[in-house]
Amino acid sequence: MTNIQTDKVLDAKGLACPMPIVKTKKTINELEPGQVLEIEATDKGSTADLKAWCENTGHQYIGTVHKGNVIHHFVRKGGEEIKEIQHPHLIDNEDLAKKLGSNEQIIILDVREPSEFAFNHIPGAISIPFGELDQRMSNLNKGAEMFVICRTGNRSDLAAQKLTQSGFEKVFNVVPGMTEWKGQTKSLIT
Amino acid sequence: MSNKVAIIASNGGLFDAYKVFNIATASAATDAEVGIFFTFEGLNLIQKEASGQLPLPEGKEHFQEGFKAAQVPSIDELLLMAKDLGVKMIACQMTMDVMNVKKEDLISGIDVGGAVTFLDFAKDANVTLTF
Repeated sequence: MTNIQTDKVLDAKGLACPMPIVKTKKTINELEPGQVLEIEATDKGSTADLKAWCENTGHQYIGTVHKGNVIHHFVRKGGEEIKEIQHPHLIDNEDLAKKLGSNEQIIILDVREPSEFAFNHIPGAISIPFGELDQRMSNLNKGAEMFVICRTGNRSDLAAQKLTQSGFEKVFNVVPGMTEWKGQTKSLIT
Repeated sequence: MSNKVAIIASNGGLFDAYKVFNIATASAATDAEVGIFFTFEGLNLIQKEASGQLPLPEGKEHFQEGFKAAQVPSIDELLLMAKDLGVKMIACQMTMDVMNVKKEDLISGIDVGGAVTFLDFAKDANVTLTF
């Protein structure tokens, strides 16, 4: 285990190829789209295999952490329904980068899963996964300018709508989001 | 990605079995439709008696320890996985007749067919492999 929060952990330690992939396939069937699986493996080939597996199956490879002999992989299940973006206030990545450079007091709210945030995020961003937004939004300042970001603009759209309905006044959805982010990033992985 | 993998298994040693079943289970786990045609000595791989005791190549018997050390799954385990993942397995009728192998001698879940049965599956495969 790492200290990164996920929805499920698969123990594939000691298993040789192709078993880590076969077990991953079986285990991911038990998750909902958007949930994150951590795979603990010792097979050194599993990193390249999992990346290729994700590319071919439509799941998202988040990253890998080595701890001692154990390799921890993080995969987010694909197949989420993509809706058209509805929140009317958008800002693109470049304009957000400019705002960051201008030293304005702004809040960046990252609504991706904790593991996605752990591997890379914009320095200073606050992490509140979309699923936890309802419980945790009371800690945020309703009057502040808030820039909501995720991987592709989909979850952040839903989050921006939710925040606006709850009385937040200046909420922007950052598009396209972290997939195309060219500015500075920070990682919690050591 | 739609993907179809057609495999011909025509050899009956332990190395051959691993090549066939590793690729087959890995493909099936990657959402490919997988079919294997077992012909000639490849029939050993799906015979009840033989599949659990496939020979290593002569002079390579010491690899037995390597398989253990690397914790490689057994062929029986891979066979179960392959079935579980929906790998289609076809035994060659003609070779069964030549080698006097009966359908009852094979593990369960095997289709028996001729060359055309396999060709029909393989005609639109993205990947075709022979072991």
